[in-house]
Amino acid sequence: MMLTLLLTPALFMFLVSFLRNENAKYLLALSSFVILFPIVDLFTFVKPYAILGTYLVADKLDTYVLLVSSIVGIGVTLALFTMDKHVTVSPKAYRKFYRFFAIFWIGLIFSILSNHMGIYWIGLELATLSTVYMIKTNHTPAAHKEAWNYMIVGAIAVSLILFGIILMYASAKPILGEEAMQFDLLLKHAKEIPSPFLFEIGFAIATIGMFVKMGFFPMNLWLANIERSSFYPVAALFSGILESAVVIGFFRFSQIAMEVNYNNLFIFVFIYTILTIFIVSFLIYRAKDFMRLFSLSGIEHMALIVLFWVSGSPFAALLHFGAHAFLKPALFLSTGVLETNGKFKMAGALRGYTGKRGKIFLFLVSLFLLAIISLPPSPMFFSELYGFGAMINTAKGSDHMLGMIGAVLFLLILLSIIFYRFVSIYQSMRYEGEARSRKVYAGELFALILFAVSLVALMLPNTLHYLKTVI
Amino acid sequence: MVDFLIGLFLASLIAALFTTRLYGLLFWYSMNSLMLGLLALGIGINIDDKAMLLTGVVTILIKAIGIPYVLKNLSHKFNFARQIVSGIKMQYSIMLVPIILVFTFYLSVPIVDMIHTNANYVAISISSLFLSLLLIMEHSDVVPKIIGFLALENSLFLLGTTATNGMPMLVELGIFFDLLMAIVVINLLFHKEEMKI
Repeated sequence: MMLTLLLTPALFMFLVSFLRNENAKYLLALSSFVILFPIVDLFTFVKPYAILGTYLVADKLDTYVLLVSSIVGIGVTLALFTMDKHVTVSPKAYRKFYRFFAIFWIGLIFSILSNHMGIYWIGLELATLSTVYMIKTNHTPAAHKEAWNYMIVGAIAVSLILFGIILMYASAKPILGEEAMQFDLLLKHAKEIPSPFLFEIGFAIATIGMFVKMGFFPMNLWLANIERSSFYPVAALFSGILESAVVIGFFRFSQIAMEVNYNNLFIFVFIYTILTIFIVSFLIYRAKDFMRLFSLSGIEHMALIVLFWVSGSPFAALLHFGAHAFLKPALFLSTGVLETNGKFKMAGALRGYTGKRGKIFLFLVSLFLLAIISLPPSPMFFSELYGFGAMINTAKGSDHMLGMIGAVLFLLILLSIIFYRFVSIYQSMRYEGEARSRKVYAGELFALILFAVSLVALMLPNTLHYLKTVI
Repeated sequence: MVDFLIGLFLASLIAALFTTRLYGLLFWYSMNSLMLGLLALGIGINIDDKAMLLTGVVTILIKAIGIPYVLKNLSHKFNFARQIVSGIKMQYSIMLVPIILVFTFYLSVPIVDMIHTNANYVAISISSLFLSLLLIMEHSDVVPKIIGFLALENSLFLLGTTATNGMPMLVELGIFFDLLMAIVVINLLFHKEEMKI
């Protein structure tokens, strides 16, 4: 029953996308809103709640991720209403966008709620393939090229994940049989896996696949190029929803890998993420347009989420994850106004906003820009405090305390480079360049307000308590 | 028999790497998929696994017949160039293939020790995986890249079949479904002008 409720809005959206009626866009938007209701209803059930036998199980973690994703989906839908005011998009492309958005949702629901490595992969692959066409809705040669690039690199990344899953499955099959695909059973029997080395190899390969999908080292620029060439709501979907589906997979796999051998997992992820942030910080320093800037910053934050998670602070990771999932789509949607008709100049981008809408837009974008660099009272400020605290605690208990503290300090230096660059860009946007008159429409403004309210809701005591009790 | 089929699986993939004709490439992909399907049937009969038998039949129908047929139709529809040129010179490819084979056999030694059933096949699956990646890398045209992706999927399927005596049926059907979805998306992505990426 619950699965039907979860899937119905997406199926409805898929069917409505074939209607050529002008009013269909309201029905499409409505279907995106309705997705929220069954997800909110999921919170009322005792966890873990079996949605489809042992295959799809709702626990506190996936319900939270699903809620965040559905709010981002609604925000993107609101911005889609006025997308045609900023970019040229045909009604046919608009409907096709929703058609693949519906498939994307179905893939995500399976992927996020799965308690089964195979179903997780199938959902992720479905979501990945559906986003390929979303990139193509922008009818430019650059978007066409990047759609193919995404298809090929995305397919390789997802193939690596499947490769890892097969090895992990092979490692546990002697004791669990076909049930070795289930996350909960793997976690329960992690210490009994007869070939831990095989499991770790599988985990490392799957992790590299997930990291490639999130734009980690050595694939730092592919995601940025894709987001640059596609319409801005696609970039918002990538950063707010698709990456959530990837990162929840990492959470699930790493929980088991922590039980198998925590030290190996930690060292592998720690080195990988620091290397990623090292490269990304310099790429951010050189970024010349908003899309690439926000995209690269997204990679930095995903790396931090992963790092906080393996450092033993799921609370910090989940808080950071939620804040990033709201802030980054908000910033990507703002680029619709900041870069109207593809013209982008950072200097003066926050000047020339008049009227009530313009002033609210200016306030919200300034707020988001400063929140993304973790200025208090941004939720990211608190998540980083907790996250770095956890890293220091892990360092204290390690055999290489000095080396690890040094690595943490190095990480802080890299983050300060990013901080400096963002502040410099903000000042340039606010105080330099020419003030050009820009129009802000109700759709994108409501989307930004929704994200701002969601960010505030993230800091409520009840939400924080929920996040503390997820694991 | 299984050894013979797995040898042909690898041979057809190597032949695909060296072909310079589009239809030749489709033919070798079809052969590669046929060997995979027959292999699944062979293993399915040996271990009396009905799910594996079904997987073998579906593999032959979809991958050995369906996908090459669809891609051939698309190539007619969009007038793809029949000549496909590799970015890596033939003499270097000839050296690269044995290097990859030897390297992956050494790479997979620790894994092979842990998988007692069909241990050598795991090494061949990993070699096929690298060869498929080479196929993706060596061409700038879209179709060989797609074939490379499909061959990559075949290699993973082989790994799943040999390392674990078959993945759960649900997962294998899901992978087939995703593959069909990929073909739909590829069809939508084709555009008459820009076929190079």
